[in-house]
Amino acid sequence: MIENFDQTHNSGDFLELLKRSGYNPQRVLSDLPENKALEIPQGTTVLAFHYKEGIIVAGDRRATAGNAIMYERCDKVIPIDGHSLMAIAGVPATAFEMARILSHNFEYYRRSQLRVMSTEGKVRALSRLLKDNVAMAMQGVGAVSPLFATFDIQQEKSLLYFYDMLGAEFQILTHVATGSGSPMIRGVLEHENLWGSRPLEERSQEEAMSLSIRLLQTAAQFDSATGQARPEDKLYPIIAKITKDGYQFVSDEEMEAIYKSSMKRS
Amino acid sequence: MFEEPFRWMEAISTRHSYVREKLGKGQPVIGVPHDEGAVIFGFSPQPGKIFEIYDRIALGGLGHPADVERLRMTLLDMAHAEGFNRSAQDVTIGRLLQFGLAPALKQNFEEVQRAPYLIQMLLAEINQEGEAEFFRINYDGYWEKFKKGTVIAGDSKVTDYLQKEIENTDFASFNLDKALQLALSLWEESRKKNKVEDELESVTEDGSEVDEEAENLPVTLAEAFDRWNLEVAVLNSNTGRKCLYRALSENEISVLKSTVAK
Repeated sequence: MIENFDQTHNSGDFLELLKRSGYNPQRVLSDLPENKALEIPQGTTVLAFHYKEGIIVAGDRRATAGNAIMYERCDKVIPIDGHSLMAIAGVPATAFEMARILSHNFEYYRRSQLRVMSTEGKVRALSRLLKDNVAMAMQGVGAVSPLFATFDIQQEKSLLYFYDMLGAEFQILTHVATGSGSPMIRGVLEHENLWGSRPLEERSQEEAMSLSIRLLQTAAQFDSATGQARPEDKLYPIIAKITKDGYQFVSDEEMEAIYKSSMKRS
Repeated sequence: MFEEPFRWMEAISTRHSYVREKLGKGQPVIGVPHDEGAVIFGFSPQPGKIFEIYDRIALGGLGHPADVERLRMTLLDMAHAEGFNRSAQDVTIGRLLQFGLAPALKQNFEEVQRAPYLIQMLLAEINQEGEAEFFRINYDGYWEKFKKGTVIAGDSKVTDYLQKEIENTDFASFNLDKALQLALSLWEESRKKNKVEDELESVTEDGSEVDEEAENLPVTLAEAFDRWNLEVAVLNSNTGRKCLYRALSENEISVLKSTVAK
């Protein structure tokens, strides 16, 4: 616990600290044979879009392995720091690990360097983790395709990014969805943005949340790997927002009310 | 040189005197509870007194800035490695001190060929039950835990006075503003009391000489706000976020100044 007592230099890089303490996620891969038959739980549909006050990030709760439903209460939208969220699609084991590393990375930097990491720095940190994970992704055991949403305090602007599994980042100005259910709803998002009552970025929080829950229900209709809401079990999708005040998750009670009002024709 | 026991004890005793003298002018850091968590603050001529260590832990330090920085980084490294490898719930001040910092500080202090750390630290934490806890750790690794708040100061008379006042005040029943204002007024009282005592002592000991540097230090809150930086950090257990630490902004400090420094 005290091995770093005499450490004087510090760049604020949490990955450096992890290496000093002997952590190396890649070492388990060195002798791993390729195994195509292996079935690993995977995440499914997450989406995010700009609305009037910031960004809405939403995800279903199901994790599957092949045809088997492994888990129905998976939290695929994860807080990274006070103003950032990551939404995951892909292998949860890798994605949760990445989220944990990223979260510690940003907080460690902020606390040690006494300044918030730049948005560009944050965006590249996730890209670096994905690049380090390429071997795992290529072996079919760790592909992750995340979304990253953050509010840049200096620029006073909310920013949204989509990543491919190799680590390329793409800034999204309107909307994005990823995971196996995303093809079913990307067209709907574009349609809503172009020809809906108002562009997505002009919609209120209520409208944005209602659209999110409807989109996830739609994805679940066509994609068996996306879980539907089950109000009888108090099981709802995860919805969070990012504004200038930071991230905030919608509570179960609020979700119940949003679900009720959204599941009828408006 | 140190082969005889009494020589070693003499060396340790000299070290204590040396460190205490060096810390003598260190300005206090006060940590008290309030109805939603804890608040920790300190005035100082230079910024760099109050810091965030982990989600639920704040640090206030006094002493040599390089030593404060080194021990702050040690705490940060320990807390983040532990929080990542286990969980945020396993990162507690008790563990960081008892199994990390305290033995290392003691060892450093007793290795008389090495330069001692010139430092005192106050740590505040919101525990898993949502209660505020305060810890004080000395340059020689000795640490204590307090429920009702605590203080560190270079001058032991100031520490004793403020600690007694803090123990006699039910800060946990006040809201943040009230608790902070009350703690600031205690700081001012201690400055005034200290100044009077210093003047009396200097007259009786050497006739007329008064320590000019001590004479020029701010005594009232108004003077302190004008000449020094006030750093305030709040740990609030009702934010709904995992990080409970928040430093008061410049605007909030200005509002506080207009309220208390009249």
